[in-house]
Amino acid sequence: MSEFTPLIPAFSPWEPSGLSLSVFGALVLGLMGAMLFLAGWLGVKMPGGEKRRAYECGVIPTGTGSFRYPVPFFLTAVFFLIFDVETVYIVSWALAWDTAGLPGLIRMGGFILILGFGLAYAWRKGGLEPERGFGPDRSPTPGSGEDAR
Amino acid sequence: MSGPQDMALNGLDIVINWSRKNSLWPLFFGLSCCFVEEAAAFTSRYDIARFGSEVFRGSPRQADVLIVSGTLFKKVAPVALRLYEQMSSPKWVISMGSCSNSGGMYDVYSVVQGTDQIIPVDVYIPGCPPRPEAVFDGLLRLQEMIAAGERPARPVLGLAGGSQGGREGVLTDGVDKCRDPRGPGYAGIPVRGTPATEPWFRESRADLMWTPPAPVHEISTPELGQARSLAALFGQDAALEPASTDMPTYRVPKKRIIDVLRHLKTQSAPRYARLEDLTAVDETARRQRPENDYTLVYTLRSLEDASLLRLKVPLAGGSPQAPSVTTVWPSASWYEREVRDMFGIAFEGLANPRSLLLPPGWEGHPLRKGYQGRATAMPPFTSREARRMEPVDAGELFAGRDHAGEYLLNFGPHHYATHGVFRYVLALQGETITDMEMDIGYHHRGVEKIGERQTWHQFIPYTDRVDYLVGLANNFTYLTALEELAGVQVPERAQYIRVMLAELFRLSNHLVWFGTFVQDLGMMSPVFYAFREREQILDIVEFITGGRMHPSWFRIGGVAMDLPSGWKDMVLEFVRVFPDRLKQYHAAVTGNPIVRARTRGVGRLKLSDAVDWGVSGPNLRACGLEWDLRRTAPYGAYPDFDFDIPTDTGGDCYARYLVRMEEMRQSLRIIEQAAARMPEGRYVAGDSRYGLPENKAALKDIESLIHHFVNVTRGPRLPEGEVYRATESPRGEQGYYLVSDGGCAAYRMRLRTPGFANLQAVPLMSVGGRLADFVAVLGSIDYVLPDIDR
Repeated sequence: MSEFTPLIPAFSPWEPSGLSLSVFGALVLGLMGAMLFLAGWLGVKMPGGEKRRAYECGVIPTGTGSFRYPVPFFLTAVFFLIFDVETVYIVSWALAWDTAGLPGLIRMGGFILILGFGLAYAWRKGGLEPERGFGPDRSPTPGSGEDAR
Repeated sequence: MSGPQDMALNGLDIVINWSRKNSLWPLFFGLSCCFVEEAAAFTSRYDIARFGSEVFRGSPRQADVLIVSGTLFKKVAPVALRLYEQMSSPKWVISMGSCSNSGGMYDVYSVVQGTDQIIPVDVYIPGCPPRPEAVFDGLLRLQEMIAAGERPARPVLGLAGGSQGGREGVLTDGVDKCRDPRGPGYAGIPVRGTPATEPWFRESRADLMWTPPAPVHEISTPELGQARSLAALFGQDAALEPASTDMPTYRVPKKRIIDVLRHLKTQSAPRYARLEDLTAVDETARRQRPENDYTLVYTLRSLEDASLLRLKVPLAGGSPQAPSVTTVWPSASWYEREVRDMFGIAFEGLANPRSLLLPPGWEGHPLRKGYQGRATAMPPFTSREARRMEPVDAGELFAGRDHAGEYLLNFGPHHYATHGVFRYVLALQGETITDMEMDIGYHHRGVEKIGERQTWHQFIPYTDRVDYLVGLANNFTYLTALEELAGVQVPERAQYIRVMLAELFRLSNHLVWFGTFVQDLGMMSPVFYAFREREQILDIVEFITGGRMHPSWFRIGGVAMDLPSGWKDMVLEFVRVFPDRLKQYHAAVTGNPIVRARTRGVGRLKLSDAVDWGVSGPNLRACGLEWDLRRTAPYGAYPDFDFDIPTDTGGDCYARYLVRMEEMRQSLRIIEQAAARMPEGRYVAGDSRYGLPENKAALKDIESLIHHFVNVTRGPRLPEGEVYRATESPRGEQGYYLVSDGGCAAYRMRLRTPGFANLQAVPLMSVGGRLADFVAVLGSIDYVLPDIDR
C-alpha cells in the first residue's frame, strides 16, 4: 500500500499550507464582495422618511430603543453563555471520544457533573426565572388599569 | 423596441418579472370581516402557497404586497400609510372588500371611503366579504399585471426609464375617483337616508298608519318590593316610570344617581351586581319633545334572578354634565368616555382625559342629532389628513404615571396577536409588564349612527358585521329586542331554525378562537384543522342561507326562507364527524405540556372582579359562575333544549380554554336536537305588520304584496317605546337597546357588546405577568374588534 499522495499538494486538505489558505480566503472575500455589491447596486434605495424609522406596529415609537437593561437580563445572558459554552467542549469530546479514551471520559464526566451542580444551584436560587429578585411583587390588583388609580 | 440593448433589457424584464410574480410576500393589513376570509385562503382547504404566495408577513420590511382588507377607518389610516411607506420596494397594494374600496355600506363619519385615497391601489377585490377564492383571483390578477405591465430592468440596472412596483400616486375625489358608494353617475340624486328620510321622510304616510302600542312589562312581586323600598329611601328621586316594555325603569336626578346605584349594587334585594350598560340618548329631535335635552341610561343586571333594571338620568343644556359613577363600578370608565365622545356629556370625577373612540382632535359629537355624520357629506379623507392624524404618543397615554427607566412598547394596532386593530401600550421592566394602557377606536364604524337612518328592516345586514365571526347570532340579538318591542310572535319552526344556526355559528366562532389561540401559543397545525371544520359549518350555512360569513338571513318575525331539502343530511353528517374531531383536538392540544405550562395560572381573573367589570360569556363562566342567558334568561326556543353550561373555577387561560372546548360539545348537542325535532309550520310570522310576508304569499295575494312593498321600501313603523334585550352570543352577552319614536328607523340604536366589557378587564389579567403571557391572555379572551368599537 503506497503512501497517500494528493494530486495537487498545495491544495491538500491534509496538509494545510499558506497558499491554499490565501486562495480560499480570496475566493470567499470575492464571493461576499460580489453578493454585497449586487444587492447594494440592484436594490432600490428609499432613504429618509418612514423607512428610517423603527417599525413598531405602525405607530411612532416612544423614546429610544436603547434603554437600560435590567440586571436580571444580564444574569440570564450569563447563564446562557455558561451552559452554552459547555456544549462546545462536549461536542469536541464526542468527536474524539475514542482517542481520548477512559481518561477523557472521566475528565468529561467530572466537567459535566460540576456544571450539573451549577445548573441545579442556579435553578434552586431562582436564577432561571427572570422575575425573581426583581423589584416588589407586582401581582395584579383590582383597578390597576384604566382610571382607577 | 429595437437594437441589441433593448433586446437584452426586454429579456431581463421577463426574467425579473417572472421571479417577482412567483414569489409574492403579502403583508396583511387586516381590518374587518374580509381578513377572516383572507386568513381562510391561507388554510389547507385553499392553500395560498399554490398561488405564488407564501406565509403572510407581519412586518412591512419583509413584504412586497400590502393587502388592505376590510373597512379602513380615519383613526387607523395613518397606520396603513406608515406601513406602506416602510415596505421595501418594489411594492404593490391590493384593496380587499367593498368597505376598503369605497367605504361600502359604511357611509359614516369614521370610515375612509377607499384605500386608494391614502395609498395607491393596484388590484381591487370587491365583495362583502369576498370569498377566499376571490383573494386568489386578486393575486392572479396582480401576477398578470406584473408580468405584462412592468419594465423593471432599467431601474434595476440604474438606467433611466422603465417601471416597477405598480401604480403611483393616490386618487382624488372628483378627478379620478367617485366616493359615492352607489358608483359614478348618481350626482344630484339624494343619498338614501339624508334629505329623503331624515328627520322625517317628507309626505311619508307612515304617520297615518296605526300600530298597536308596545307591550307593557308586568311588574313582578319582587320588582314591586324593590320599587317600594327605593321609594322609601329616595322618595321622588327614584320614581318608577308608569309603563315600559322590558323592565322597571326609574327616573333619577343626577345628584342622587351615585347613591341610588350604590344602593342597588350593594344593599337592595335582589342586588344588581353588574352594570350591564351605560349610554345616553339625545332627546332634542323627539317628536314629542321632553323637558330634558339628554338622558343617561343605566342598565343593571341582577345575577340572583337575572332581572334587569333601568335608571334614567335627565340632563339639560348644550354641554351637560353628570357625575362619574366609576367609584361604584370601575367598568363605567369606558362607557362614560364613550358617552363623552359621542354626546359631549362631561363626567365630573372621570379620571381619564383622553377620548376613547374618536381620533384626538375630532370635532363634534357624532351621536348628537345635529351631527349629520355621513362620510360622503364630509371633505374627502386623504393621505394629507392621514399624516396629520397621528395616533397619540405612548408616553402621553401614561400621562401622570412615572415610568422612568421602563420600556414603553406599542403592541398594536398592527400586530398578529392583537386579533384586530387594537393598540395596547405596555410599560415593561425587562419581560415583565408593570403597567398598561389601551387605545381603541381603530375599528369604530359608527354603527349606532347608521342605525338611526336605516329602517328597522334595513339594519339587519349591519348587525351581521358587528361581530363578524358569529354571523347570524348578531341578527338574533337585534331581532329578539325588536320583536319584544313590536310584540311579534315568531313561529316555532323559525325559532328552531334560529337556534340551530346560532349554535352552528357558535361552533364556527369557537373553532376560529381555538385555532388562533393555540397559534398564539406557538402551535401551527391546529388552526388548519380548525378551519377545516369551520368550512364544513360554513358550507351548511351557505347551503341553507346562501351566504357564508354574513348571511343576514333572519327577518322580523322569522327567517328569510324555509330550509332547503337536503339540509338535514348535511347537519347530521357534521354531527356525526365532529365529536371525533373534538377528541383529536383534546388529544393534540389539551394534554400538551407546553400549552398547559403557558396557560395554567396565567391571566387569572377573580370572579368578583369579573362581575364588577361586566365580563360575560365563557370568560365569566371560567371564573366559576354558572351564568348563561340561554338558561338564566331564556329567549327564542332555548327552553326546549337539553344542554349543560360548562364552568371552571380556575379563572385562568386554561379554564377559559376548557370552558370553550366543552361549549363546542354542548352546542353540538343542541344542533343535534334541533335537527331531530325540527317542527313543521311557517318559517315567518303570519302577521306581516312589521315583517315581510312569505314570498309565495306575496306573489299570490294583494294584501301580502302591499305589506311586502311597504315594509321593504319605507320600512315598518314600530310603536313608540324602548327595549333592551341581550342574548348569549358566542363571545358573551350582546344586547340591543332600541329606542323608537314611532318611526321607520330607530331614534337611538345602542349596542351593548361583550368585547367592550371583557377588554376593560385585560389589565387585571396581564399587569404583573410577562410579555409572552400577555399574548396567551389576549388569545384566551376571544374578542373581535368591531364588537368593541362598533
